[in-house]
Amino acid sequence: MEDSFKIPAKSKLLGWILAGVGGIAVIAGFMTDPSRMWAGILLNNFYFLSLALGAVFFISLQYVTDSQWSAMFRQIPGAMMLYVPVALIVMIAMAGGMGWIYEWARPEIARQDALIAHKSPYLNIPFFYLRLLVIFGAWLALIAALRKFFLREDAEGGLHWFRKSKHYSMIFIFVFGVTFSVASFDWIMSIDAHWFSTIFGISAIMSSLYYAVAVIILLVIGLNRLGYLRALNEYHLNDFGRYLFRLSMVWGFLWFMQYLIIWYANIPETTFYYYYRMGEPFTALFYANIIINWAIPFVVLMSDTLGRKKAVLLPMCLLLLAGFYINLYLQIMPGSIGELNFGFIEIGSFAGFAGIFLLLVMKGLSGASLIPVNHPYLQKSLHHHI
Amino acid sequence: MNQKGIIGIFTTDWQMSDAIKRLREKNIPVTDAVTPFPAHGIMKQLGKESRLPFFSLAAGTGTIILVFAFLYYIAVIDYPIIYGGKPFFAFPTFVIIIYMLTILLTFILTVLAFQARTGLFPGKEIDDPVHRAGDERYIGGMTDDRFMVALGGEEGLSGEMHESASTILRESGAKEILEIKRS
Repeated sequence: MEDSFKIPAKSKLLGWILAGVGGIAVIAGFMTDPSRMWAGILLNNFYFLSLALGAVFFISLQYVTDSQWSAMFRQIPGAMMLYVPVALIVMIAMAGGMGWIYEWARPEIARQDALIAHKSPYLNIPFFYLRLLVIFGAWLALIAALRKFFLREDAEGGLHWFRKSKHYSMIFIFVFGVTFSVASFDWIMSIDAHWFSTIFGISAIMSSLYYAVAVIILLVIGLNRLGYLRALNEYHLNDFGRYLFRLSMVWGFLWFMQYLIIWYANIPETTFYYYYRMGEPFTALFYANIIINWAIPFVVLMSDTLGRKKAVLLPMCLLLLAGFYINLYLQIMPGSIGELNFGFIEIGSFAGFAGIFLLLVMKGLSGASLIPVNHPYLQKSLHHHI
Repeated sequence: MNQKGIIGIFTTDWQMSDAIKRLREKNIPVTDAVTPFPAHGIMKQLGKESRLPFFSLAAGTGTIILVFAFLYYIAVIDYPIIYGGKPFFAFPTFVIIIYMLTILLTFILTVLAFQARTGLFPGKEIDDPVHRAGDERYIGGMTDDRFMVALGGEEGLSGEMHESASTILRESGAKEILEIKRS
């Protein structure tokens, strides 16, 4: 059996450098343009929070469906979920920037605008933070429980912890469905407080799973290159590729579902959302969003022969990470700051969050053994073939 | 002509796939494998390749074009009517119909192609490796819970190959090993 993961000095240094660059970028951002910086922080935080929760969703799906092929990769999404407490800290710090991003959080607008005034019993800062704390409380409790079960299973063995993990996975999927919908309504959709879309929540949930799978693939391939997870074979990669392919279809379907209904109804109250995003300066991003997140993965991963190659999956996952940034950028920036900014502040702050995420993942991986040694399906997963 | 074919009958797919792997390592030709459900990877183990996915891709691409032309003809050429302030050629309304009809027609065409290629149709006479070799016995459970590996087929196996093949089948856990009688 393989020994546990040792953090490579280079990766650790890279993580700290990225975090340092992020720190400089955030300070520079607040000095030059606070509204842009707050929107950037919200974007980056939601980005990595989605990845972390998508990873938990991924594990939960594997447990609930009794999936055997993925058993040996459980520690990787298990380490990604460590980002959630950081996201809570950043969301609490966001209290200082509410007025910069959310129209409804500015008292003078909330009084004048009839629609926002009407929504104010729901969209007000105390209730916003109450919901936020309840949601994070539920996530942290479930994640702490799952992590405890995983560690205990690695240490003690036996089916008891597997059954508990499975039970809590069911609870997590249910809780996640409700809470992440509310979270995406509150944190992202309420930026355009005049607009609403009931499909927004499920879009955010499926996006989180989609891009989390991409990150899991990147980490698996990366660990394999470092000499870990030697049992990784083409059938595992085939299953991962299929996951991405199917989720690209789900992503495209949900994106189009939201667009079609708004296009068909043609009501100014809802069409303005797309009007801003399809017009200058966001036009290019709007189409890049569809091409990167749906068209390219759909066409390339359709073939099983291509979808199981590391040389295809690696650039595809990196492309999808850029795609997720564009996806969130189009959801957040047009409504909050209304102009297209992409410079050192955006790149630097993204690098900072990525650095923190990387350090946390490596810490999570080094804490436990890299392969869940007592997982009941481990042997089936190590020798997975189809 | 005393060369005989041989049939191994298994109760699990992994025993069968194990047997096929070991037989092919010994260069014993495996004629066919019959399973009650599509067992993944068996085609590859038998050294055969299915071209059905390419047919599906072609059918799907063709269907997209066909359905698009059909909708364009209806909405723009034959019966142009303005509804909801939309132009005649309103592409977003086409998308879902194209999506659904593409899935439906591709599925139907693929099933038909499969039936045509394998020669399966109602009223077809029994055709499995046993009967093809001229043996009249009927082996039950092939569409139920039995997995069959046929070796030798029409030509039969030479003496020592026959020996090692039945050893491998027995070691892999074959429930029954039958010799194909040649008529």
